[in-house]
Amino acid sequence: MEYIFHLAILFSLFAIFAIALDLVAGYTGLISVCHAAFYGIGAYTTALLVQSVGLNFFFALLIGMLLTGIVALILGLVFSKFKGDYYVLGTLGFTYIAYTVFINWQSVTNGPLGVPGIPRPEIFGLSFSNSWSFLILSAIFVGVVYALARFVVSSSFGRVLRAIREDEEAIAIFGYRTSAFKLLIFIISAMSAALGGGLLASYLTYIDPGTFGITESIFVLSIVILGGLGSLRGPVVGALILVLLPEALRFVGFSPDIAAQMRVLIYGLLLVIMMRYRPQGLLGEYKL
Amino acid sequence: MKKTWIGLIVIVALGLVVWGISSMSGNQATNDTGAVKIGAVLPLTGDAAVYGEPLNKVLQIAVGEINANGGINGRQVQLLVEDGKCNGQDAASAAQKLINVDGVKVIIGGFCSSESLAMVPIAAAAKVALISPGSSSPKLTNASPYFVRNYPSDSAQGAVLANIAFTDKGWKKVAFIQEQTDYAQGVQSAFSAEFTKLGGTVTNEQFPTETADFRSLVSKVKSGNPDAVFLSVQTPAVAARILTQIKQLGWKPKLMAADVVPGDPETVSKYKDILEGTLTAEFGTDATNPKFAAMITSYKTQYGEEPPYQGYAQTVYDSAYLVQAAIVAVGYDGTKVANWLHTVKDWQGASGLVTIGANGDPITGHKPEVITGGKVMPYVK
Amino acid sequence: MDILPQIILNSLIAGSLYALAAMSFNLIYGVSRSFNLAHGVFATVAAYAVLFLAFHTAIPLPLTITLGILMAVLLGYLLERSIFRPLRLRKASNLVLLIASLGASIVVEALIAIFFSSQFQTLSSLLPPFGTLHILGGTLTDLQAFIIICSVVVLGVFWLVLSYTRFGKAVRAVSDDEEVAKIVGINTNAIIGIVFMIGAGVMGLAGILAGFDTGLEPHMGFILLLGAAIAAVVGGVGNVYGAFLGAFILGFAENFGVFFVSGEWKYAIAFGVLILFLLFRPQGILGKK
Repeated sequence: MEYIFHLAILFSLFAIFAIALDLVAGYTGLISVCHAAFYGIGAYTTALLVQSVGLNFFFALLIGMLLTGIVALILGLVFSKFKGDYYVLGTLGFTYIAYTVFINWQSVTNGPLGVPGIPRPEIFGLSFSNSWSFLILSAIFVGVVYALARFVVSSSFGRVLRAIREDEEAIAIFGYRTSAFKLLIFIISAMSAALGGGLLASYLTYIDPGTFGITESIFVLSIVILGGLGSLRGPVVGALILVLLPEALRFVGFSPDIAAQMRVLIYGLLLVIMMRYRPQGLLGEYKL
Repeated sequence: MKKTWIGLIVIVALGLVVWGISSMSGNQATNDTGAVKIGAVLPLTGDAAVYGEPLNKVLQIAVGEINANGGINGRQVQLLVEDGKCNGQDAASAAQKLINVDGVKVIIGGFCSSESLAMVPIAAAAKVALISPGSSSPKLTNASPYFVRNYPSDSAQGAVLANIAFTDKGWKKVAFIQEQTDYAQGVQSAFSAEFTKLGGTVTNEQFPTETADFRSLVSKVKSGNPDAVFLSVQTPAVAARILTQIKQLGWKPKLMAADVVPGDPETVSKYKDILEGTLTAEFGTDATNPKFAAMITSYKTQYGEEPPYQGYAQTVYDSAYLVQAAIVAVGYDGTKVANWLHTVKDWQGASGLVTIGANGDPITGHKPEVITGGKVMPYVK
Repeated sequence: MDILPQIILNSLIAGSLYALAAMSFNLIYGVSRSFNLAHGVFATVAAYAVLFLAFHTAIPLPLTITLGILMAVLLGYLLERSIFRPLRLRKASNLVLLIASLGASIVVEALIAIFFSSQFQTLSSLLPPFGTLHILGGTLTDLQAFIIICSVVVLGVFWLVLSYTRFGKAVRAVSDDEEVAKIVGINTNAIIGIVFMIGAGVMGLAGILAGFDTGLEPHMGFILLLGAAIAAVVGGVGNVYGAFLGAFILGFAENFGVFFVSGEWKYAIAFGVLILFLLFRPQGILGKK
């Protein structure tokens, strides 16, 4: 049962990351590969505040999200000039830079040693230390993020985002300041990712820079692409499949070192096949 | 059309997991006649796979031998190896799977410190014993009553070398070339702490793991004119790259090296001219130890080559036998096995006499060595 | 001791490898108009092919190197036919191509790790020990000198072919505007296919040289690709000569960065340069607006 809880928690966390990314990638058409950096900032801030300052988890999580929001604000201003595959390159660059900061700012982040012993959340004497209570907590957060995302995309704000995705110049002619819209959704998305990051840190109780590198960013992107860009159920389904798939492969019975490479291989193959035959993903409405 | 797609994939994925769980948890090892399940978590993909791949073979050899000799109290040992990818998140998944699906009570691993650090709370909560044959982070000392390791903490080798460098050799300025990994950093900080306390100065140049081009880094270190250069790296392959490039620059500094370098006989003999006189400290291998020699022989017969990373191979090999001894002594119970492992004293293994202290660390530490003529020799003042 | 000459030499060596990678990357970008993230695996596959042939067969070394490059060419052909061409014909966007190529890169890298393990290996034992050359107070091996020469020769060949041959003119026409090229009767698919194979071959050469110089591992191609992509943007995306220039700028930035700042900030420096260029000169040094 614990194993099922564990998978369910992982699924919830990646659903949060994927929904967050879908807001910018699917709804606004900006393919960002720096979301691991955002949930890394959220995770590190939360972990360090809880562990060394002794703040309450939820308060620390809030600060982590705010800090990520500020970083996203600055970054969004920079990235607002990029489009299409240049946007991908720019965000790729930021992922590496953030990773370098995590590993080099050793007085704060502990560098490659990572941060061990991060406590689980506690509030009003209620502790989320065992798996099922943590699962409930993360399920609540998935619900909150999902509802928030649903609210955003179905509001008039969301309609402008989709219009930007389809034809930015046309919507700009109508007097919309598209860069402001893009900036705002980027910040919302980054803060949601940071929320998931804080939860991840607390769930794993240990984080190190390797958890927030380029592979993780690409992993989250492939969740969204598989599930479908521009749909909110898409990333959830994508997260379910891609979190369960490697676990399923554990049982199929290759020799362990080959099985491990096979997992990576299959997930690369999935990207190729989706792009080749179904670029809108399983549930998506937006074709890249 | 769309719905069938998703439905199909979700059902297949879910089905595989459920089928896996049911087929695995059906024969939980709680009964007394089936196989005894031992879990293992090693880095089988990613940068640290260079360790995980050969060490997995060593582990398979040890378990194969145990089974050939009647297993544990007549029961065969079933070894379940999972990939921890040398990071916390995957190691946590692997540990959860081993503990909750396979129902193992003992796990060998993690190998990387990042793996062990993430696995410790999970194992402690589930009352499963962990024995790490490779994690050397000082942060793991006293980590949990459920965690022991038979590989010593980094702080041991750093301190040993700092004393010799400062007192015996009279070096006052040591330049580190350090890979950005937990292990290499552990060695560096332990050395620096001791060396600066003695009155020396340490400079440190760090580099990310994937680096292949060290030429400018080495040039910079060279221009600083240090008394000696300390290579603190995670793998011998990285050391080999740095050594080649030092050589190509026509430089011949006095060298010190972290224990992965003497641990790899191929590197030591291949780079013997530049490594001549290199000071190092190793959780040494002892080729005259019959158990160690036997391990090397069986690896050679099965895989046609000497095992790499013998300093680790021996602890991996021993970890399987320590687990066997523990289960024979106290039965298949995580808490009891963990307690027993904390009391191991003068146990004869491939890595010599193993004694584990109450803090979960082995008492035996690193011995200073020097590389002469392509061989690693004990250091004499 | 003055180490400036040495740092300059180091920058030139690093820059030359990046140059080979970036020129071939840009050549392909020029005709296909999309970032090919699978470009790195051409280097990896070629280097591993040499490793395999040299240690497991009796084929003489010059032939194994040729075969290694041909393996990269073959892979270039296969990827172009199976992924890029169908996507291009479907008028898929750049992002689709980018993600598909990323997937292809992951697949090939995993296959190599399965067959050759992730262990770091080296080709240098195949050659006699390198001699060292002393130039202006710095040292480099004869292989490294050869790498620098290679990059210049490839640049020269590209220049000759692109400027003076019918094929080169066709390539430039496709780079300028594929539709117009088609209308004037150029078989654009064939041109793009050949360019893919040439680019893959040059990248394969870079991989083999890197394998001889520093060694090989399954991830080596991706690292080389990152350098190539940065150099391409700096020099001007799609511009072969710009790529050459960008590669040396990157080589100098990285090596002087190691010297003046520190080795651990290498990636931050490289990608910092990338973002600065994307911001202030997205068309690169030699690119057109």
